Amino acid sequence: MSRAIAIGLKIPDNAAYTTLTTLQRLGIDVARVERNDILIIDDAGEDALRRIERDERVFNPNKHRLTDLGVAQPRPGEVWIAEHHAPPGRYVGWRLLNRAGAPVDRETLERATTSLLCNPAIETARYQTREGTL
Amino acid sequence: MSKRIAVLVFPGTNSEEETLRLLRDCGGDAHLVHWSRAKLLPQFDAYVLPGGFAYEDRIRAGAIAAHDEMMDAVIDGAQAGKLVLGVCNGAQILLEAGLVPGTGTVRRPTAAFTRNGPVPHFICRHVWVKLAIEPKRSPITAGLKDGELIPAWAAHGEGRLAADEAHLAQIERGGHVAFVYAHRDGSVDASAIPNQSALGAAALVNAQGNVLAIMPHPERDGWAFNHPDRRGRAGILEPSGGALFFRSFVMGVNR
Repeated sequence: MSRAIAIGLKIPDNAAYTTLTTLQRLGIDVARVERNDILIIDDAGEDALRRIERDERVFNPNKHRLTDLGVAQPRPGEVWIAEHHAPPGRYVGWRLLNRAGAPVDRETLERATTSLLCNPAIETARYQTREGTL
Repeated sequence: MSKRIAVLVFPGTNSEEETLRLLRDCGGDAHLVHWSRAKLLPQFDAYVLPGGFAYEDRIRAGAIAAHDEMMDAVIDGAQAGKLVLGVCNGAQILLEAGLVPGTGTVRRPTAAFTRNGPVPHFICRHVWVKLAIEPKRSPITAGLKDGELIPAWAAHGEGRLAADEAHLAQIERGGHVAFVYAHRDGSVDASAIPNQSALGAAALVNAQGNVLAIMPHPERDGWAFNHPDRRGRAGILEPSGGALFFRSFVMGVNR
């Protein structure tokens, strides 16, 4: 069974902050942006997580936070972006939250994606329920 | 009176000094404008976006900068017919802003200069680019000869033109490929392309001809001391081939 692992920063994420301010400048109602590297792995065992945590190429415990998302699809308010020729199972996940700390609705997420997060000439966007080039 | 050229400096731009110096050496009345002074930009007659890593290439190369306040003025100016030149990261910004190839709507990119192929590594090497349009198709190239060869330095990890097949066909059909990679003798084949760029494209121009995005750096072959054939110290401050391109741009601005 595939599962998704999110690796994000536990130190301030400047890229996420710049993205937040740019989305706000575009008039998109979002209060917080989280950015994660998403890895889809086929090994469902706990050992797989431990192996990632020990892999210094992708995980630095002083800098990163690792989250097991379980099912291999984006969460509500989240879009996964992959370059067209990226290795399978590798995405950048952008999760957008509103002022109440809840995931933004699908319309807001799609607006943020088409306006800024995804260049359809070179990237594909994947949402919770479907995958496709925007 | 010569017209004023703004050289835009975003956080992360790193080629503004040589761009400014070459523009001035070519007779341009060029000035640096930093991102905190974006409101000054409408006063200028032309815009140059130099190379670098604007906003640290966050999200994608050029993506954040394309939505910066500075680009509001550049887009307005481009739509009013002002000349706009982007080099390297500046070219990536112009594609993200949708100004080139201009086959879609503004700030909805239809193409990108993205990761090099076949291996997505940074390249730094001297290249030659060949004018692939009629010189007068664009005021920026009107001072060049038909098929003119320009020396430049390719210094990018993301310089490969990519788009879907329909847009690539539009780019080709619409005469948007302004320069192609070439050999020193002017011949053009796949081995001259350092990054597997689609259509062999080194530069794109919009339909109106007033916005041009070029990936390799002509300004880094602007003086003899930049050119790989230079021997000894004599004449090192003489203009080199990259200056031809900038001279043509300045002529276009002042026409």
